[in-house]
Amino acid sequence: MFVILVYDTAVERNPHVLKTCRKYLHWTQRSVFQGELTAGQYRALMTTLGTVIDPDHDSIVTYTARSPDFIATSTLGVSLGGPGDIL
Amino acid sequence: MAAVGRTYWLTEPCRIRREDNSIRVERPDGSPVRIPITDIRDLIAFDNVDVNTSAMSLLSRNGVTLHVLDHYGNHAGHFAPAESMASAAVVRRQVELTADTAARLAVARSLVLTTAENLRWSLDTDLLAPALDALRTAVPTCEDTDALMGQEGNFRRTGWAVLDTFLPPWLRLNGRTRRPPTNAGNAFVSYLNALVYARVLTALRSTPLHPAIGFLHADTDRRRNTLALDLAEPFKPLFAERLLKRAAAQKQLKESDFETDVGRASLSKDGRKKVAALVREELATTVHHRTLKRQVSYDELIHLEALKLVRLCLEGTPYKPFRPWW
Repeated sequence: MFVILVYDTAVERNPHVLKTCRKYLHWTQRSVFQGELTAGQYRALMTTLGTVIDPDHDSIVTYTARSPDFIATSTLGVSLGGPGDIL
Repeated sequence: MAAVGRTYWLTEPCRIRREDNSIRVERPDGSPVRIPITDIRDLIAFDNVDVNTSAMSLLSRNGVTLHVLDHYGNHAGHFAPAESMASAAVVRRQVELTADTAARLAVARSLVLTTAENLRWSLDTDLLAPALDALRTAVPTCEDTDALMGQEGNFRRTGWAVLDTFLPPWLRLNGRTRRPPTNAGNAFVSYLNALVYARVLTALRSTPLHPAIGFLHADTDRRRNTLALDLAEPFKPLFAERLLKRAAAQKQLKESDFETDVGRASLSKDGRKKVAALVREELATTVHHRTLKRQVSYDELIHLEALKLVRLCLEGTPYKPFRPWW
């Protein structure tokens, strides 16, 4: 599945959330990640994030679609994400 | 093969580091690229790559293979995860089958014939018909794999001569040369062959088969993984010759994409990127598979080919090498 993940967490927990997300998803913007995951990987990611955040204060929202084909993206201004898979 | 996970093509000198249990690729222009480790199926290094043990152990733990191509596009080696798919039953059957001359020759013969037909298919020409007929009569009389390889070599020479007729003069092979390739056309074919070999090796790593126990190629063949060489054969025309012909027809390749020296040639930096993009696009092409009744990518076809061999070993299902049906 294709996942877009947005997080809004307290400053002291940001690095931890960032590091966890980097293992599974591509960084797109300051607190936005996206990428393709299997159902298992998605569950693993969410479980890990659940242990990292403070559920009373922090918020993480994910949007999932069956494939990136279902999502049209456009960018205004600087494209911050990586260069794709030919480096 | 993992449904998710991509191949990453490193076409520039870079450094692979481990960061937060994931991968960071540092490039000469200073902008690091962070790749999620779960998104990598394999890495293919076209240029100098600096990697350390902590990054390698992370790659190994996540089942990622790192392939290294040398300056002239030969497969220089690969770093593979410690075996996890090992199965004694399959390997034992594989050894038994390859030791049995009749069984081995049957597989080798079908490989040679199918490769020849694939080449005819990929060049899409009648010029190869006489050579193909000659090969068809010669193959059943071959008593060992060396003779088979000889017959195959004869056919391939004709095939390359025919391929030359479709190419502009600067891209012609003028006889296949390698280690190092002497001209642009040969450099292109070398790169593509090494890439196909790398793909096959990645596919074989996801099965219990031992990549060094092959059917067609001689056991001493440059001490390489002969089974991977075998399985790469039927796919080489689909990628190397066909892409070369198409790239020439569509004028996608320029002379500046190659660094040509006296008696040796290799791809330039831009050329490498171009070839990586070509192959990546080609690997992602899908066709409808009639038995599976769904779309499969060319990349997956290579994986299915490895599974056919597993089935030959475990169930004795006769092995029919890959042949394009579209």
